[in-house]
Amino acid sequence: MQAPSWVQEVFEHYLICEFTSIDNGKPVTFPLLFFYDNNSTKFVVTSSILFSRKIEHMKKNPKVSLLFSNPEGSGVEKHVVLVQGVAKIEDSDLDHGWERYLPMWRKKEPYIDGFLAAREQFAWFWKRIVVEVEPRKILAWKNGDTSKAPEAVGL
Amino acid sequence: MEERRYFQGSGGSRPLTTLELVDPDRVSRFRYGIVTWIDKDGFPFSVATDFLLSENGEILLKKPSAYPTMMGASVGVLFNHITGIPTGGYTDRRYMLVWGRVSEDKGFLKLHPEEVSEWDEKILPFDKLCAAAVPQGKKYLESLQPSIDA
Repeated sequence: MQAPSWVQEVFEHYLICEFTSIDNGKPVTFPLLFFYDNNSTKFVVTSSILFSRKIEHMKKNPKVSLLFSNPEGSGVEKHVVLVQGVAKIEDSDLDHGWERYLPMWRKKEPYIDGFLAAREQFAWFWKRIVVEVEPRKILAWKNGDTSKAPEAVGL
Repeated sequence: MEERRYFQGSGGSRPLTTLELVDPDRVSRFRYGIVTWIDKDGFPFSVATDFLLSENGEILLKKPSAYPTMMGASVGVLFNHITGIPTGGYTDRRYMLVWGRVSEDKGFLKLHPEEVSEWDEKILPFDKLCAAAVPQGKKYLESLQPSIDA
């Protein structure tokens, strides 16, 4: 990815994104924790089976978007970045498949281990589906001014 | 994080008004909105924009540069207060997702709400949200059963 440093900072430091799937032509957007690995240049979100309607949407239509609009708590300046991409669903190992993202999750939510300790109590919350998003188009608004045209980021 | 409360404006004897669907006091507690529609390539297109409430409680969105492409389309507007904090994690979780259409109004985009979905953990704590979502989890597990049996 040929992203300028300010866009990379957004991917590496923002806590959440606004993730949109499509339900029969209707956009459905939720705030989600995301993980970004700049080696793979893919974005990952995970979803409990409890909140899996968005997964059902993506199985029918894999076109999704992630908007990064909220820098609060991240320590970096405000920019807005839109990633449009194609989602790949991995749900063959609901109990452990998502655990490879635990180090990144822990970094974003240090208290997640306390929640994990109660795994038995929230057993179905911890049955999680992995969604890997391969970017197809990235648009970025420097300083978050969306009244101006965005700049395209090279993939 | 999914829907706690869901209202739909269509299907009744009359369409619900903006105020019946969306509580302006609740909307006023959010700082900005995320407007999303489907672009010409079939991908969701989202953009963040500021908003204000009219005296009648209508939601007026500031025009983003991409606004001409959303005119006439069904849009979703997410108001989100799940905000990161420097020590990690986030503050109180609440959001509201409003679907509808927009029209130009005095330099703004007026949102005409048709459906609403929202969650506020102070009203519905997370453990209760999870309990309410068990049928969806069961449905998903059942959908996987054929591949597990194969």
